[in-house]
Amino acid sequence: MKSISLYVDKESFIHDFDPITKLLYILFALFLPLILLSFTVSFISVGVSIVLLMAAGVIRKTIPVFSFVFLVLITVVIIQGLFRPENETILFQIGPLAMYKEGLLYALTITLRVMNIVSAFLILVLTTKPSDLVETLVRKGMSPRIGYVIVSVFQIIPEMMASMSTITDAQRARGMETEGKLSVRMKAFLPLLGPVILGALINTKERALALEVRGFNSHVPKTYLYEEKTHALSKWVQAILLLLLVGAGVWRIFG
Amino acid sequence: MIKVSDLSFSYRKGTPVLSGINLELDQRSTAIIGQNGAGKTTFVKLLKGLLKADEGDIFVNNHHVKETTAAELAKTIGLVFQNPNDQMFKRTVLDEVMFGPLNIKMDKQQAKENALMAIRMVDLQGKLDINPHDLSLSEKKLLCIAAIVAMDPDIIILDEPTIAQDHAGKEKIKQIIKALKDKNKLVMTIIHDMDFVAENFERTIVFNEGKVLLDGDTRQVFSQKDMLKKAHVEPPGITQLAEMLGIQETILTVEEFIHRNKEAARD
Amino acid sequence: MNKIVVEGLKYKYPLSDTLALDDLSFQVKEGEFIGIIGKNSAGKSTLCQALVGLVPHFYKGAYGGKVFIDGLEVKNQTIADISLKVGMVFQNPFTQVTGSKMTVYEEIAFGLENIGIPRSEMIARIDYVLDLLKIEQVKDQNPFDLSGGQMQRMAIASIIAMKPDILVLDEPTSQLDPAGSEEVFQAIQSLSKQGITIILAEHKMEKVALYCHRVLLLDDGKMVDINTPGKIFSRGDLEQHGVAAPVYTRVCKELGVRKAGTSEFPVTLAEAESVLRGRKI
Repeated sequence: MKSISLYVDKESFIHDFDPITKLLYILFALFLPLILLSFTVSFISVGVSIVLLMAAGVIRKTIPVFSFVFLVLITVVIIQGLFRPENETILFQIGPLAMYKEGLLYALTITLRVMNIVSAFLILVLTTKPSDLVETLVRKGMSPRIGYVIVSVFQIIPEMMASMSTITDAQRARGMETEGKLSVRMKAFLPLLGPVILGALINTKERALALEVRGFNSHVPKTYLYEEKTHALSKWVQAILLLLLVGAGVWRIFG
Repeated sequence: MIKVSDLSFSYRKGTPVLSGINLELDQRSTAIIGQNGAGKTTFVKLLKGLLKADEGDIFVNNHHVKETTAAELAKTIGLVFQNPNDQMFKRTVLDEVMFGPLNIKMDKQQAKENALMAIRMVDLQGKLDINPHDLSLSEKKLLCIAAIVAMDPDIIILDEPTIAQDHAGKEKIKQIIKALKDKNKLVMTIIHDMDFVAENFERTIVFNEGKVLLDGDTRQVFSQKDMLKKAHVEPPGITQLAEMLGIQETILTVEEFIHRNKEAARD
Repeated sequence: MNKIVVEGLKYKYPLSDTLALDDLSFQVKEGEFIGIIGKNSAGKSTLCQALVGLVPHFYKGAYGGKVFIDGLEVKNQTIADISLKVGMVFQNPFTQVTGSKMTVYEEIAFGLENIGIPRSEMIARIDYVLDLLKIEQVKDQNPFDLSGGQMQRMAIASIIAMKPDILVLDEPTSQLDPAGSEEVFQAIQSLSKQGITIILAEHKMEKVALYCHRVLLLDDGKMVDINTPGKIFSRGDLEQHGVAAPVYTRVCKELGVRKAGTSEFPVTLAEAESVLRGRKI
């Protein structure tokens, strides 16, 4: 079954940590460099995230994500390096184009921040089952209905994609061309979209009935198949992350 | 009308869905039976050019399927999908049925004539202007048959037409198959309802694990109890009853059973 | 003891002009296996849904008469409360999968989590139903990867785990192949033997005749009759109500052969065989 989740099913101490700690780590990685405004801190933060990703054994899965991010960032580097208004100091020149130090430094800051956030997010996404994350949030008070919608999307979208291919076949069987020129594809749009939407609506109604008879709207307090995931060190890690953040804030204000 | 030689197909390497299929299909109405996953739907999708064979060739009325697009093939071979909701999108029954004929560049007048004829065949003529989504499921299935019949292909394949049909619906489908046969069309059907197979099809092909396990006259196929068991196919109820009573020949329908009984009483 | 009591039940869907259920009255005893038959749109699905409270609570619409389950009136209960007494299995195995669980094991837990079953009890119940429906071997697979028959048995397991006294099934095998249907019918029969009251809407008359204690014949929302399969399928007006008797009954009707000492025709293969055996055919 293809699922659109990026979760990598492995065993590691990172996998063992609860989603809340990982969420807190994202906040930490996001705010610490913002508070301290330091290159070094950003570097260290990115470094730590990458070490954690390696420890979790999921570093290979980050390559496509990072490649995509770099593709976007390269344009940032080029544009800022060439055209940033504050540009003064020329670093080097290629033909008529001059690269400036100020612009490149600024681009580097942005690159580091983006890397920082992306790598922290990847820790959560690659080492946490979507259903575990949502279950944790439901335990913390999120509505089970919203939780259901979020989790089911991960599985139901691939199901819809599968039905899309059946529908394409059904219309091709009626002589419709679905391949080739743009105009041909445009013409094929409605005959494909109509049945997809209708099918989704019918399935949604049927699924709603099936959920109802399984007590989906029960007012009894919910119980859970799995015990809440906690790690012996969770509390400590969370405390240290918070302490560091608060410490950084205090240092910034009074230091 | 269809010639299949050494046909093999797999969705993923190493797990063949069909292998080494050799078949020649003629005018005889044909039922394709076997368990889910035996390769029946894959087989008809290959005939229809919706999938491309890994190995082997298929000729449909002298068209080499590999080299013909699905849309072109639509003039020769029609496939009615199992779930009507996978195809309906027009606002009226008439428009829905005219969609196929117009797609294959039939002129408008001809398309309308064909559509009306097909709609009459499935007995929906009273509902021309109704939105297809307001039909019952069994009517939707009939509508989808009409949508293919209107394109006037020589070969018509039905995927599970009797699902969701009650007694009256099945009677209608029986009539439709007969009407198509009278027009010299080859009607093929993927089906799980063995009583319906026995009553309506001249030839039966049993698929099992991607291969043709049995192929022949329906009567001859249903006489091979052990082979059927292998494909998890249970012969029709009346056939089982006749066999339990020790009747030598294979009985396919209630009428045959009664007829035989009368003959026996006369002796 | 009467498990289900239906009194003068009438129901009309919103936006509809005609009654989907028209003045139905009948009782079902504990442990009975009841078949509901009738042509398409005769009201089979609507009746099934009225027993679990989806009619009227989910659809709204105009509702009259009373349905009691174990003495509780359906109209005054929530669907969640009724689901503790009556479980329902639908036609389409796919749309009964919640889509929010990654394994069969977790999928079965879904309903139990909703109704607040403690963890240890939950695990015991899941293990029990996995065994009962013979899907132990697929418990760690993704629900969407199962075959149709397995998926439908998982749906039944999910419901049975909630320990209802009554199980309502609406054409549970219409979308399965013969082997898959057989698996499901075997499962239903074993549940019936355990004393669970079963209500089954079904088109396959041979199966209805074989398994059901009594059969309820519906036509245009009205109850034509409720009686033993032998009595129902021996009626002369079945075809007028859009139903064909099992093939065994049709043969015996043609031949005019009744079950010894009764006015009924045989309805199963075994019955037909025993009355026809020894005749010169």
